[in-house]
Amino acid sequence: MPHRVEGGDVTSLASLWDVSLTLWGMASLSLAALLLARVIAKGRQERRNEARTRLLPHLLSGENSPEKLSNLDLKVATALTCELAELTRGSDLEALLARAAALGVPALLSKWLGALSPQKRLTAVETLGLFESEGLEIQRALNDRNRDVRLGAALLLAKRKDGPSPFDMVRKLRIGTVERSLMVASLMSDLASRDPEGVAALLIEKEVPMQAKIAAADALAASGSHYASLLAAMAREPGQDPNMQKRLYRALGKAGHPSGSVAILEGMQSKHADVRAAAAEAAGKVSLSSAIEELASLLSDQSWEVRYQASRALLRLGSGGLNKLWEVAASDDYNSRTTARSILAEAGAA
Amino acid sequence: MTPFAIETPATWMIMSAEVIALIVIIAGLAQLTLYLIQLLYASVALATRPPVSSSATLWRRYSDHAPAISVLAPAFNEELNIVESTRSLLALQYPELEVIIINDGSADGTLAKLIEAFDLEKVERFVDNAVEHAPIRGFYATASIPKLLVVDKANGGKADALNAGINCSRSELFCAIDADSILESDALLRVVRPFVDRPHETIAAGGTIRIANGCKVDSGRISDIRLPGNFLALVQIVEYLRAFLMARLGLGKMQALTVISGAFGLFRRDRVVEVGGYSHGTVGEDMELVIKLHRHMRDLRQPYRIEFIAEPVCWTECPENIRILARQRARWQRGALECFVKHRAMIFNPRYGRIGFIGFGQILLVDVVGPLLEILGYILMPLLWVLGLLALPWLLAFLAITFTFGIFLSIATLVIEEIQLRRFPKARELALLALISVVENFGYRQLSNFWRLQGWWQFVRKQQSWGTMTRKGFATN
Repeated sequence: MPHRVEGGDVTSLASLWDVSLTLWGMASLSLAALLLARVIAKGRQERRNEARTRLLPHLLSGENSPEKLSNLDLKVATALTCELAELTRGSDLEALLARAAALGVPALLSKWLGALSPQKRLTAVETLGLFESEGLEIQRALNDRNRDVRLGAALLLAKRKDGPSPFDMVRKLRIGTVERSLMVASLMSDLASRDPEGVAALLIEKEVPMQAKIAAADALAASGSHYASLLAAMAREPGQDPNMQKRLYRALGKAGHPSGSVAILEGMQSKHADVRAAAAEAAGKVSLSSAIEELASLLSDQSWEVRYQASRALLRLGSGGLNKLWEVAASDDYNSRTTARSILAEAGAA
Repeated sequence: MTPFAIETPATWMIMSAEVIALIVIIAGLAQLTLYLIQLLYASVALATRPPVSSSATLWRRYSDHAPAISVLAPAFNEELNIVESTRSLLALQYPELEVIIINDGSADGTLAKLIEAFDLEKVERFVDNAVEHAPIRGFYATASIPKLLVVDKANGGKADALNAGINCSRSELFCAIDADSILESDALLRVVRPFVDRPHETIAAGGTIRIANGCKVDSGRISDIRLPGNFLALVQIVEYLRAFLMARLGLGKMQALTVISGAFGLFRRDRVVEVGGYSHGTVGEDMELVIKLHRHMRDLRQPYRIEFIAEPVCWTECPENIRILARQRARWQRGALECFVKHRAMIFNPRYGRIGFIGFGQILLVDVVGPLLEILGYILMPLLWVLGLLALPWLLAFLAITFTFGIFLSIATLVIEEIQLRRFPKARELALLALISVVENFGYRQLSNFWRLQGWWQFVRKQQSWGTMTRKGFATN
């Protein structure tokens, strides 16, 4: 405890003051830099606003065609194209993109694909996606070091005829190992619309991870019922991850084909509540009348989600399901009775 | 030399003074190190933040596959704001959204205002009974707004109301908010991101809370961001920036977040049900829920993530009255202490990994011993100087480092705000907040620690009251 300021204490004391002064200096410099940046940004913003006012009529309706674009004008035109493209559709969008292309917007966006900032690269990819002729440029972004940029590019390419095959997409994005986003389902849906055979081939490819297969199966189910039996077989596969199984039952429900009935009935017996709930939901969606008794038995399930999905499925099954709900509502079993009465009351059928 | 200085102090006096000073210095250094680490991690989080698509792009992408969200808004005597807040919630951009307003036994016209404004009718609803809450008196809905459900229940407090909302919710995720808060229209699209990117791991995510005092509100949206004229509100803006853009951003990056604000948090419903929902009889229910989730997942030995995303912003009204602010801060202090004591088995327990060490280390240093030591320092350091046991240059040096470090952190947070959010349109506003960062150190900081000490005292005496928050309501155009 320094109660006399002498010798070595002086050095420590001076160090304390040095730290304080350094902190104060850093804070003051940061603040000064912040305020200076604001002032500079304000001036730049004014110039941008002026450029926006000049370029907006041209991009929207072709008026006031600019003779020569400065670098700032081109940047503003590019930013405006991104904004306006979100607000326009159909022929207006086509006209906007044609004017933007004439101004050199795609060339600047291609340059941005090499930018340091992933945000800039993603913006570039997403805007380039609007231009029909820029497929190759977007394909470059499939190898980007940032996963969001890669996924953004893949989502755009999935809709395009010149996009890579589903297998290449899975490989480049490393779906199921690096890429586990729910957006993979969206990607597969678009791929399945463009190349259903290619997506179906993923299901039998050994090296394709299970998550990619399930997304593929889900997408195929949404596009028709041809793959329902395959989905059912995957759902019944022993040792299947319950998270994946849940998604498969949802896909089976979406497929709406009764060929998955055995799998659905089995799913309703699963030890995982999520799987039972998804299977019960699927039973309702595929109008599986043969599941009425199993669904009724789930009305007293421990899990509310299962009880809810089973009761909703019974409502979906028409008069057979409704009669069962009435029957259970008058039964002795407290849990089943409460579930049946509640859902009937909610549906206005009590 | 002061007139009270002891000419030849006894050895025990010097030793005691040394021990006290050592404790204060070591704790101060530990706090300082922790804050610097948080700042470092917050900067890393900022530098490595993932790129964000525009709201319109997110909407398109999420329209088919993003998980459904139930927004739970407990309301107690909120007749002043409830209709506008509900409209704002209904206008949120999200593909599959359900808005559940829980009237927690309000004594004013909250329910009547809702029924009248939205033309609601009494309906039946099949709900879960997974978590405990006071009895539900009825459900109100209308066919014209199918995503709105009003739950009328007996009063039981915020945690109880949220539990009722959890039971009524049918979505995979629920978003707990304060009914008097305003979410930015794309806040859900942004906060849901970790649930989309890592669907099997993410169990909770929180966003930034900002102070709405002084801002203009139009149709349930913040239409003009302005700083308030009230000093207390200004100081709280700086405090909130520090709390969210430094502490939570940093702790989130470290995966050691121990609190997601009750005003805005997104959770996986099944995981929250597994931990029994919000706990009753606690004033820090938001912090407690996050700690319970950590504990549960660590006990299950399953990989999980609890994230903080800075971009989604929720605006809330803060107290401008010193008595209400004092009560709020004392309550927060009690909440932190309750959580700390309730989950003390996690402290520095290797089983709980970084939560036990970093998360609980932060609570221990900042919330548990922080106010005690700072107040002790303010009292003892000058006292030791008066008694001649501490030389004036040292006293001044200690005070200087305490204050300059506080100012440094606040300015660093302003820099992060400017890079990450940039919600203050005018440079003048930034300059004013910088000035407040300096001024708050002289008076407000000590007062705030005193309120926290009051919270300590209330905790020791097992006081449970919440106190009331009188609201002015948002300024509208």
